[in-house]
Amino acid sequence: MFSYLLVNGMIIGGIYGLIALGYSLIYRASGLMSFVQGDIITFGAYMGLTFYKVLGLSIYASLFLTFACAFALGIVLEKGVIRVLLNKNVMPIYIVLATIAISFIIQNAPQAYYGTVTQRFPQVFSKSSITVFGVTNQTEAYACFVVSVVLMFALHIFMTKTKFGTAMRAAAMDPLAAEACGINTSLSTGVTWGLSAGIASVAGMLLGPMYGVYTMLGATLGRKGFAGAVIGGYGNMYGAMLGGMILGLVETFTAGYWSGTYKNFIAYAILLLFLFIKPTGIFNEQAIQDV
Amino acid sequence: MAKILELVNFHYYYGNIHSVKGIDLHVDEGEMVTLIGANGAGKTTTLQSVSGLTKRRGIEGKIIFQGKEIQSFNGNKVASLGIAQALEGRHIFSKLSVEENLIMGAYKRKNSVEIKKDMDKVYERFPRLLERREQMGGTLSGGEQQMLAIGRALISLPTLMLLDEPSLGLAPLIVKEIFIAVKEINREGTTILFVEQNSKIALSTANRGYVMQTGEIVMTDTCENLMANAEIKKAYLGV
Ligand SMILES: Nc1ncnc2c1ncn2[C@@H]1O[C@H](COP(=O)(O)OP(=O)(O)OP(=O)(O)O)[C@@H](O)[C@H]1O
Ligand SMILES: [Mg+2]
Repeated sequence: MFSYLLVNGMIIGGIYGLIALGYSLIYRASGLMSFVQGDIITFGAYMGLTFYKVLGLSIYASLFLTFACAFALGIVLEKGVIRVLLNKNVMPIYIVLATIAISFIIQNAPQAYYGTVTQRFPQVFSKSSITVFGVTNQTEAYACFVVSVVLMFALHIFMTKTKFGTAMRAAAMDPLAAEACGINTSLSTGVTWGLSAGIASVAGMLLGPMYGVYTMLGATLGRKGFAGAVIGGYGNMYGAMLGGMILGLVETFTAGYWSGTYKNFIAYAILLLFLFIKPTGIFNEQAIQDV
Repeated sequence: MAKILELVNFHYYYGNIHSVKGIDLHVDEGEMVTLIGANGAGKTTTLQSVSGLTKRRGIEGKIIFQGKEIQSFNGNKVASLGIAQALEGRHIFSKLSVEENLIMGAYKRKNSVEIKKDMDKVYERFPRLLERREQMGGTLSGGEQQMLAIGRALISLPTLMLLDEPSLGLAPLIVKEIFIAVKEINREGTTILFVEQNSKIALSTANRGYVMQTGEIVMTDTCENLMANAEIKKAYLGV
């Protein structure tokens, strides 16, 4: 029982961590909470379904194209909406409201083609289940964990070891100084939104085979990811990964040892607890007060 | 000597606030020029406008760099022309290491071997940065941060370097050290325009000076003459 919960908690925790990462990156770059993140998960799940099932592409091509589409969507969102509003000097809360509006648009758009019925994501691997540490799970669930970890690691390398990644962090820390150094801060902010969206879309696609694909898929997951980001320290990349993981484990163990009914209750109680006792999260980010 | 930078009837508006009111200013190649004046005179606005760091719609008049009008260029474009600025308040990337801060200064450069060499030169000039190369920028002292800000501007190999109040909040000994370095940088061939509130050290370091007051340039001369001027003595040198 314990190892079963541990493994499954880590699988879902990895996904929460990915989603949390998106929120944190955006907060760092633009100082905003974007409500669209959750629905980009949905968007990713539907894009994945479209490429894999409808168009019959390979799983790798589907994964890549889903990421690419979401990346483009993220940039369009930043350049077409967020930047325009920021240039008008409106209060941040209005921009957050704008993201809520867009969130509903993206959430409902796939219905035009797929309707409201939950879609089944076809099985990806020929071997339907495998056993790891004595725990048997759907193969896709393990693949999901592997992809989450690989993505997080890749992002860590990109942000800390490459010149462009370092420039993205620099631009988020101090846009004026970054611009003076010759960094195109408008581009780096756009790329940050693109990456955040790309990561969220991959999370959505990974969940497809386990949860099915439906319009509200991202709404719940988005909230969990957000909670994970807060617990880890809002705006901190590593905090987001850790916070998401903790949330996934807590939730799974609650469901396993107590009751599935209470897992969300406990998850959000922990979020509240952090907001009261340690609003700067595990990684001590000072950022939480401005929206 | 050829003019490297020229401002012609330059105005700056923050919305309705008319902060700089039609100034003319130039810097010749190889020169070291200072811009002095009290709080709120418009010095930072002027420097940051040259660097493309103020909103472009607030500008009226011309900013000419090496014969080319640049008043419509944004910051990263100006930086790639060879203008670097050590900003007022230093603006060090607080969560990047000293070394990463310098790497960001060299962002537009491609040749990593050359960058490495120039980084060593910066460390040679400011040995205290070498000792702290792995340390986060935000943990440095004010003086060290100023050295890093200058090093970060220098490593882009600018033809024109702008410094905004390098002495701000620093102890006299450190100020001296920094100005010795600035003088050396100028002697080695970089043209420098700097803003200072510490008029004494400014006028004893630069070749020429401009005096700015509430958005206008009220006087300009060689530093020697400015220092001898009775009004300047009274208002800016406190003697
Ligand atoms: N972002 C801004 N919005 C509105 N007004 C501004 C802004 N920045 C500066 N100002 C105004 O423009 C004028 C010039 O400011 P600036 O910072 O250029 O002066 P300064 O000479 O650098 O002063 P200091 O010596 O204090 O640094 C001031 O009256 C200031 O209040
Ligand atoms: Mg100033």
